Amino acid sequence: MGNNLMDAVGRRVILFDGGMGSMLISRGLREGDVPESWNFSRGDDLIEIHRAYLESGAEVIQANTFGANRIKLSSSRQGSGIDVGEANERAVGLARRALEEHGEPDRFLAGDIGPTGMFFEPVGKLEAKDARDAFREQASALERAGVDLFLIETMYDLREAVEALGAVRDVSDKPVVVELTFEKKPRGYYTMFGDTPRKGAEVLLENGADMIGANCTVSSADMIGLAVEFRGFTEAPLIFQPNAGRPEMEGGSAVYRQTPEEFVADMAGIVNAGADAVGGCCGTTPEFISELHGYLAGDR
Amino acid sequence: MEQFLKDCAQSVIEGDGERSKELASEALDRKLPLLDVIENGFADGIREVGRLWEEGTMFLPELVMGAESMKAAMDVLEPALKGSGVNQGVAGRIVIGTIEGDIHDIGKTLVATLLAANGFEVTDLGADVPVTRFVDEASEREAGCVAVSALLTTTMVGQKKVVEEIKKRSLTGKLKVMIGGAPCSDEWASQIGADGYAGDAVAAVALARKLSES
Repeated sequence: MGNNLMDAVGRRVILFDGGMGSMLISRGLREGDVPESWNFSRGDDLIEIHRAYLESGAEVIQANTFGANRIKLSSSRQGSGIDVGEANERAVGLARRALEEHGEPDRFLAGDIGPTGMFFEPVGKLEAKDARDAFREQASALERAGVDLFLIETMYDLREAVEALGAVRDVSDKPVVVELTFEKKPRGYYTMFGDTPRKGAEVLLENGADMIGANCTVSSADMIGLAVEFRGFTEAPLIFQPNAGRPEMEGGSAVYRQTPEEFVADMAGIVNAGADAVGGCCGTTPEFISELHGYLAGDR
Repeated sequence: MEQFLKDCAQSVIEGDGERSKELASEALDRKLPLLDVIENGFADGIREVGRLWEEGTMFLPELVMGAESMKAAMDVLEPALKGSGVNQGVAGRIVIGTIEGDIHDIGKTLVATLLAANGFEVTDLGADVPVTRFVDEASEREAGCVAVSALLTTTMVGQKKVVEEIKKRSLTGKLKVMIGGAPCSDEWASQIGADGYAGDAVAAVALARKLSES
């Protein structure tokens, strides 16, 4: 009881954690490995990653369940052998352990829900009903495992985001945060499927999202304009989790050259635009979140 | 004729595959110069779709519909082109796929569709394709180019392995390599010795054209 993220909204800018994928890779996640397989084999590493984010000041940590839906898992050989319910429950269990060991109050555990990886017509053959079923199965497992909130993220098609949101609402009354992912085109910000921020916000709020916003794809610098645009048409709680600049290649692996200081300079612009919650996506690490925490602490 | 070509282009821009098919049949019935119909009609449409996509007026669904309309027209026209002995001038043969360990399909499929719509003969190997298979299939089909997609920072090293495999088989220069995918860049292409990088499907078509002419 009382552990409701939405109670904190408006009182302070809430700090979410940063990237998970790059943390896993730095700990040895190999080519083609399904990140959720670590919920079974590398639990200690996941606890350490969660702990690092908690120690850096993150108030919300995301369980390692981004791709833990039936459609996404069954698209790879390794994933096909993974049980949806168990993958989600284990991930939440690990994150919960990190939270308990950390021990500070007012920290929240988010069940992370990413896209199916399949596409709606006319690009692909994904049916709304199948997406809804897959998301409902995942959301049920997350609810059972006892998450504090749901975070639906990196959605490139508003239709799929709506199915994920509906699926969560089918099984839970807990807060739901939904982040779409936008590209910056010469004519403005759009999802890959052509949804504008305004349309995204309207539809998601109508469908019961508690907080909305954007993550991934664009750099922290380009995310500022997106935050300004969102705040221009809605009073709803807003969240933004950009990447750490753009990846560059160095010796065969991706390097995010943006420093935590540069990232936070942009995040200040996002906070000033009226964000209620911030965090990082690809390429961000506990150092970025720690720097951001320092900025927010000074700002409070 | 002028208006007819415009209609062909418009059917592709609107992604109206049925209309594209009708117009293609009409071109056959009226014995119009088919190469002209393709190049200055349907292909004009797909180029416009590409432009509108880049500026953010059209999006992935419209791009796919446009490419499919183009393909629908080509399906009608191709048998006639072959039958008539007209050299349709296949722009080139390309083998395309997503590198092993990587199951990201969409960008690659889009590039394959647009290449085919632009007159390339495309063999799509799908996703999770082993390095040697790219080169095997390209050799077997006498393709001039392999297009290797990688969406993960962990799998893009496979693109380098494809370049190395081609070198090992002394095919460098004969079999060109183009690369794409979110983490790639011009720098990465030159670093690994690939012949070029394309940042999106429209750029991929332009790059494939350039490589097939060089």
